[in-house]
Amino acid sequence: MTTPLTVDLRGVSRWYGNVVAVNDITMSLGAGVTGLLGPNGAGKTTLLHMMAGFLAPSKGEVLLGGNPTWRNPDVYRDLGLVAERESVPAHLTGWEFVHASAKLHGLADPAGAARRALELVEMTEAAGRRLGTYSKGMRQRARVAASLVHDPAVLLLDEPFNGMDPRQRAHMMELLHSLGDQGRTILFSSHILEEVEQVSGTVQVIVNGRLAASGDFRKIRRLMTHRPHVFVIRSTDDRRLATALIASPAVTGVSLGAEELTVHAGDYGTFTRALPKVALAEGIRVRQLVPSDESLESVFAYLVSA
Amino acid sequence: MSEAVDTGGSRIHDIGYRRYEGTNLGRLYVARSLYTHGLRSAFGLGRSAKAKIFPWIMVGLLGAFAVVVAAVRAQTGEMIVGYQEFQQVARVIVIIFLAVVAPELVSRDLRNKTLPLYFSRPLRRTDYALAKLAAVISAVFLLVAGPLTIVGAAAAFSVADVSGVWAEVRGLLGGYTMIAVLAVIHGSIALLIASLASKRAFAAGAIAAVFLVLVPIAQIPHELAHGAIGQLSLMISPDGMVDGLQEFLFGKGDANLEPGYRIYYGVGAVALVAAVVTALITRYRKVSL
Amino acid sequence: MNLTICALTVRALFGRRRFLLLLPAPLILMGLTWLAVSLGASDQDLVTAVVVGLGMTAVVPLMSLIIGASVLGSEIDDGTVIHILTKPIPRWQIILSKLVVASGVSALVTAVPMFVVGAVIDGPKLGAGLAGGAAIGAAVYSALFLALSVVSRRPVLLGLVYVLVWEGLLTNLVSGAKVLSVQKYVATFAQSISGTPLMERPLSVAVAVAMSVVLAVLATYYASVRLRSFSVAGETS
Repeated sequence: MTTPLTVDLRGVSRWYGNVVAVNDITMSLGAGVTGLLGPNGAGKTTLLHMMAGFLAPSKGEVLLGGNPTWRNPDVYRDLGLVAERESVPAHLTGWEFVHASAKLHGLADPAGAARRALELVEMTEAAGRRLGTYSKGMRQRARVAASLVHDPAVLLLDEPFNGMDPRQRAHMMELLHSLGDQGRTILFSSHILEEVEQVSGTVQVIVNGRLAASGDFRKIRRLMTHRPHVFVIRSTDDRRLATALIASPAVTGVSLGAEELTVHAGDYGTFTRALPKVALAEGIRVRQLVPSDESLESVFAYLVSA
Repeated sequence: MSEAVDTGGSRIHDIGYRRYEGTNLGRLYVARSLYTHGLRSAFGLGRSAKAKIFPWIMVGLLGAFAVVVAAVRAQTGEMIVGYQEFQQVARVIVIIFLAVVAPELVSRDLRNKTLPLYFSRPLRRTDYALAKLAAVISAVFLLVAGPLTIVGAAAAFSVADVSGVWAEVRGLLGGYTMIAVLAVIHGSIALLIASLASKRAFAAGAIAAVFLVLVPIAQIPHELAHGAIGQLSLMISPDGMVDGLQEFLFGKGDANLEPGYRIYYGVGAVALVAAVVTALITRYRKVSL
Repeated sequence: MNLTICALTVRALFGRRRFLLLLPAPLILMGLTWLAVSLGASDQDLVTAVVVGLGMTAVVPLMSLIIGASVLGSEIDDGTVIHILTKPIPRWQIILSKLVVASGVSALVTAVPMFVVGAVIDGPKLGAGLAGGAAIGAAVYSALFLALSVVSRRPVLLGLVYVLVWEGLLTNLVSGAKVLSVQKYVATFAQSISGTPLMERPLSVAVAVAMSVVLAVLATYYASVRLRSFSVAGETS
């Protein structure tokens, strides 16, 4: 792999008659792993296909390293795509499939490249069997190998963890991480929050065809000031702490549970400064302070419902 | 509000849910619905506009031809194509129609594995096969009989007296009979072929290939051989069977059979249809879901 | 032209059971000839009924249709085409490679039995003429049906309409339309290569050559252009 490449979308829209699938999206993807997150039907696959050169944008441009992806077969020298649809030629063996991919890319040493790609996805032992005999996860890995064989700078994966068992998923996540660390631009789409949370901090959230948020999801959460932040606190005296906290203007609500205190704070910054002061003044030791809604799930739920 | 069972905070709420208390219409209703649905979808009714293009083009072609025949009849009193011969001209259209419609009716269900949905209703497998068969046969019949009716109506109006009208009606009925024969023989064979293939493209190709390839295989011995082989060889192709049957029923036709052999076509046609229908039913009895 | 694609296509074509479907037609063609000869058919009858009636009307176009529509069409249908398209290969190379395989296999499957039939009827010269006509016809048909498979989701159906309605019916009714019927080119080449008096020559050789080239080139060009704009929208076909 030579240099990192960016995928640029500028004002990209795609419609089918009256249905707008992608609505004026501008984003730039650089090196590292980015998760494309959105509910089903949000436009993730449409966006991925436009980036991969399999769909023309109705408006705007989709560029890879400065070149348009539509009607441009040369772009595939630097691009690998693992599509959602699982179909593979069932009559070829795993080795033949990846090797053919290497040959079609015009690589100087197709056999060597194929071997390396298969090792990367841990498919070397099963490579002699026909693809028709593979399990779903194995087929997926074979397709990933075939798309990595030419060492692309950009890798697009559409719902790559579909149908994988936990061990395979962990392995794939590790693989994507390491590829991202090598400086490649990796984009994968998912509607399962845990996957995205574990693989990448950077997300692009698509809701109803629009880009709802982009960046590190923790930072996104902090940007959402309209909703109170929720913290779970364990201390030496929850009830007294609760009474003291509700007096502070940064706090909008407290609720006592059996073991912990849940605090709704209107302003993250003010609250985090106020809490130590209040606890010190009351002589209460705070044992645990956890922001309980900074998960991607709450970010996502908020964005989707907004 | 009815009584709610209270078990420590859990309640079952009465939101007016009612069990279905009405009549359950039986097997016959289900089979009839399957038949009407098949017939309608053969002509693209109840489906998207794209599905209507093809069948109605076929109808249009035959209709246009019928109008031409009717016009010539009105002008010159001469029939370019007789009532019974009309189905011969229509055969190419019928074969293409079947190559499209038969796979639509049965190959789709096989490909999408929706048969369990059908058979978990009060619908026997035999009913399914027969309902689809009836739909295909009716569709072909309507395809050809409709345009023929145009010819008949125009001819009836152009004739001077009542006895002439009656003659036209008799001819028209003869035409309908032959169309029915064509529909039954060709439709059942096409449906059997389609029920063996789950991809519509294959089924279509196979139907066309079978109908086309069998024609010369039947014709050549008929033209060259004498005796029984030559007389009976037409039965090999569905087209030839229909031609032979026409001679059996009406005494005249394109097959040029010796009178003694005509009855074999009557028997053969019945046997063929029985065999094909049995094969179709067996296919659906045995198909794994 | 890309040899890897050719090799993959050939494997896909012969690697499945369905290639067995290609066998009956040549066998039927030869079997029927044997049957007719043993029944004492005249050479003219044989040519008219078997060679033209079965071979040129049905076997050559239908075999070319089945093969030509499936070299690319079956991959588009089941989604595996994406593995070929995500490579930096010019689209015309893909089309040309597929075309070479389709033409080659169709020509083989049709020309060999046509040669046998011709040789049985009237010696190897007729056989060579029929084989040549069949081979050229198979190539032109393959180009047309390959283009159909890029353009439409149902290439077999459209191909059937072309073979049955256009070539089977309309071009026989409207004499000017003969120029646009591949079946007539096959007949022309067969007659002119063999010089046999048993067949008519429906068009002049020059016209047949020109039209064959024009149709094949246009179809291949159009298929390449359309393949460049190949779109995959959602997850299902």
